[in-house]
Amino acid sequence: MITLDALREYGANVDEAIARCYGNEELYLKLVGMVFEEANFDRLKETIEAGDLDGAFEAAHALKGVLGNLSLTPMQTPATEITEHLRAKEDADYETLLKELFDQKDRLQQVIA
Amino acid sequence: MERPSQRGAVRRRVLIVDDEMINREILGNMLKDIYDVEFAENGKQAYEILCEDKDRYSLMLLDLLMPVMDGRTLLEMVRQDSVFDKMPIIVMTQESEAEVESIKAGAADFISKPYKRPEIILARCERIIDLYEQKTIISETERDPLTGLYSREFFFEYVRRIEQYALDISWNAVVIDIEHFHLINEIYGRKEGNVVLRKIADVIESHLDDIFGMACRIDADTFYACLSDNIDTEQFAEDIIRETEGISLTSARIRLRVGIYNNVDRNEPPETWFDHAKIACNHLRGDYANQVAYYDSELHKKQVYHERLISDIDDSIKNRDFIVYYQPKYAIQHDTPQLKSAEALIRWDHPELGMISPGDFIPLFEKNGLIQKLDRYVWEEACRQIGRWKDKFGITIPVSVNVSRIDIYEPDLEDCLFKILDDNGIQSSDLMLEITESAYADNAARLIEVIDHLRSEGFLIEMDDFGSGYSSLNMVTTLPIDVLKMDMKFVRNMLNDDKSLKLVELVMDIAKFLKVPVVAEGVEEQQQLDILRDMGCEVIQGYYFSKPVTSEEFETFIEKELERQHEQEGGDLK
Repeated sequence: MITLDALREYGANVDEAIARCYGNEELYLKLVGMVFEEANFDRLKETIEAGDLDGAFEAAHALKGVLGNLSLTPMQTPATEITEHLRAKEDADYETLLKELFDQKDRLQQVIA
Repeated sequence: MERPSQRGAVRRRVLIVDDEMINREILGNMLKDIYDVEFAENGKQAYEILCEDKDRYSLMLLDLLMPVMDGRTLLEMVRQDSVFDKMPIIVMTQESEAEVESIKAGAADFISKPYKRPEIILARCERIIDLYEQKTIISETERDPLTGLYSREFFFEYVRRIEQYALDISWNAVVIDIEHFHLINEIYGRKEGNVVLRKIADVIESHLDDIFGMACRIDADTFYACLSDNIDTEQFAEDIIRETEGISLTSARIRLRVGIYNNVDRNEPPETWFDHAKIACNHLRGDYANQVAYYDSELHKKQVYHERLISDIDDSIKNRDFIVYYQPKYAIQHDTPQLKSAEALIRWDHPELGMISPGDFIPLFEKNGLIQKLDRYVWEEACRQIGRWKDKFGITIPVSVNVSRIDIYEPDLEDCLFKILDDNGIQSSDLMLEITESAYADNAARLIEVIDHLRSEGFLIEMDDFGSGYSSLNMVTTLPIDVLKMDMKFVRNMLNDDKSLKLVELVMDIAKFLKVPVVAEGVEEQQQLDILRDMGCEVIQGYYFSKPVTSEEFETFIEKELERQHEQEGGDLK
C-alpha cells in the first residue's frame, strides 16, 4: 500500500504534489503507482547505451516532466541533471546518473511495497 | 446582462495534448470541474480530432515534445489555418527558451512544468478563453459584412480611440453619399446595388492603404472616412469620384456626393464631425455642377442659424412673434376690380433677429415637420381675423391659408379646422385651403380622399404654385379642386419671355378644361393684368393691387370695397 507518509519519508514533496492534484490524494497515490509503468526509464537506458543522445534527451525530458509533476524529488533531481547534460550534448557521467535514477526508482518501489 | 460565463451552464471544451498519461491526468483533474476535458496523445491525433469539428474546442493545451508529431509542428499547422482562429493554444513547456519560441509561433500563453498550483493554471485558461471569445465577437461584428468596412459603432469607437492617442494629429471627416442609390436598387436589382456598394468600399479602402485613416458604411448607401491631417481631402474625394464612376456592370451611372469637414473641432465628439460633413454633403442635393462640398464657417453659421430658428419657434408662437399679413385678391372680369378675398402670409418678427424672411424658415420647417405648428397658428389667426372683419364691417372676406403636405396626413385635420371655425363663428366656405403642387406627388390616393372629404364639408381647395413642376396632367384631372393658382414665375416673365406667356396660356386652357377659375399671383403691371383678363383669368393677386399688409392696413381695402359696393348700388338704383 502506498501511503502519503511513506512518500514523505522517501523524500517526495507530497504537499506540493497534492496541491497540484487539486487536493485529490487518491489521484496522487494512483499516479505515483503508475510511474513504474513509465516506458521512458528503459528507453533512456537503451538510448544512452546505444549513444543515441537525441532519443535519450527526449526520454529524459519526458521523465523530468512527469517526476516533477509528481514532486518525486529523489528521482527528479538525477533526471533533471541528465536532461540538462543531454540538452547541451555534453559528455557526462551518464552511467552514474542513470544508476542514481534507477536506485531511487527501486527505493520507491521498496517504500511503497 | 452578462455574457455566458465559463463557470455557468455553458461548459467549454478543452483539448489536452500530451504524450505522458500522468501529465494528462493531473491537468485533466485540474480542469474537469469547469471544462469538458478531452485528450490526445500526440500532434497527429490532436489534428485529426480538431479537423472533425473545427469549432469544438475553446482551448488547446499543447505539450511540445511528443512522438509521432510534436507540438511545434501542430502549433504551426493550426495557427496557419484561419478556421482555428477562434481557438487559443496554451503551450506547456519546461524551458523559457521554448516559451519565447511558442509565443512567436502563435501560442496565446504558456504554462510551465512542473505545473504551478491549479488555481493559477485555471485562471490563465479562463482568461485566455475569455479573451478569445471577446476577440471573436469583435472580429465578427466590427465589420460591415457586405463591404468589409467597419460597422458604425466600431468605427466611432476606433476614431475616439486614435483621437485620444494621437493628440498631435488633426483629423478630417469625409462623408460619401451615392446619388439616387435607391434607384439603382429598384432598376437594376438589389444584387447590383450590393455590387456597387462593395466596389465603392473597395475603392475607398484601396486609398486607405497608403494613408492613415479608416472608413465605415452607414445607412445603406453612405460612407464615412476619417483621415489624418496630412491627406489632401480634395484629392481623395476627386480620386474616389473618378474611380467609382464606371464601376457598375450594368449601365447604372454612379454619381457620388462628397462632404468634407477639414481639420475638425476636437472639442466636439466624432459623431458631430460627421454630422457637419454630412451637412456639406446634403448641401449638394440637386447641385448638378458640383460633387464635393466643404463644411465651412458659412455653412456652420447657417446651421447654427437654423438650429436657433428651430429652438425659437415654440416661444415665438406663444409670444405671437409670428404675424399674419394679408394680400388682397381682386376679381378683374368687371370694369372695376372687386375685392374678393385675401391670402394669409406669415412673417416672423423675431425679438432678437428682427424680421425673418419666410424663405429662411418655411423650407426649413417644411423639412422637419414643424411647419404643422405654424400652419395651425396661421389658421387660427386668419379665422379670428375673418370673424373680426365680419363683426366690424358686416362682410366676409374669405382667406386662403396654407395646408402643408404633413397636415394632410394628420387624422385630426378636420376636427382641428372645425374647432377653429366654430371658435370664431365662421363657415368652412370662408376659409380656402391652399395645397402646394408638391404635396400631390406623395400619396395620391390618400390626398384625394382627404380633399374629397374637405370639399364635401364645404371647404374650397386651391392648388397652389400650379405649373412649378410636380404634377402630371393625369393627376390634375383626377384631383378634385376648386381653384388653380398659377405659379408666379410665369406671370413675372410673361411680358419679356414668350415661353412663359405660352405657359400662362396653357395653364388657362387646363383650367378651362377642368372648369375651375384661375388665380394669377405676382401681377405687378397693368399690361399683365390686361393680358390675363383677356385670357379669361378671373382673380389677380400681386403688387399691382398691394403687397401683403397687416390686418389693420388691410382694412383700407375693405373700406374701399364697401364704398365701391355702395356706389354700385347707388348706380344700380339710378
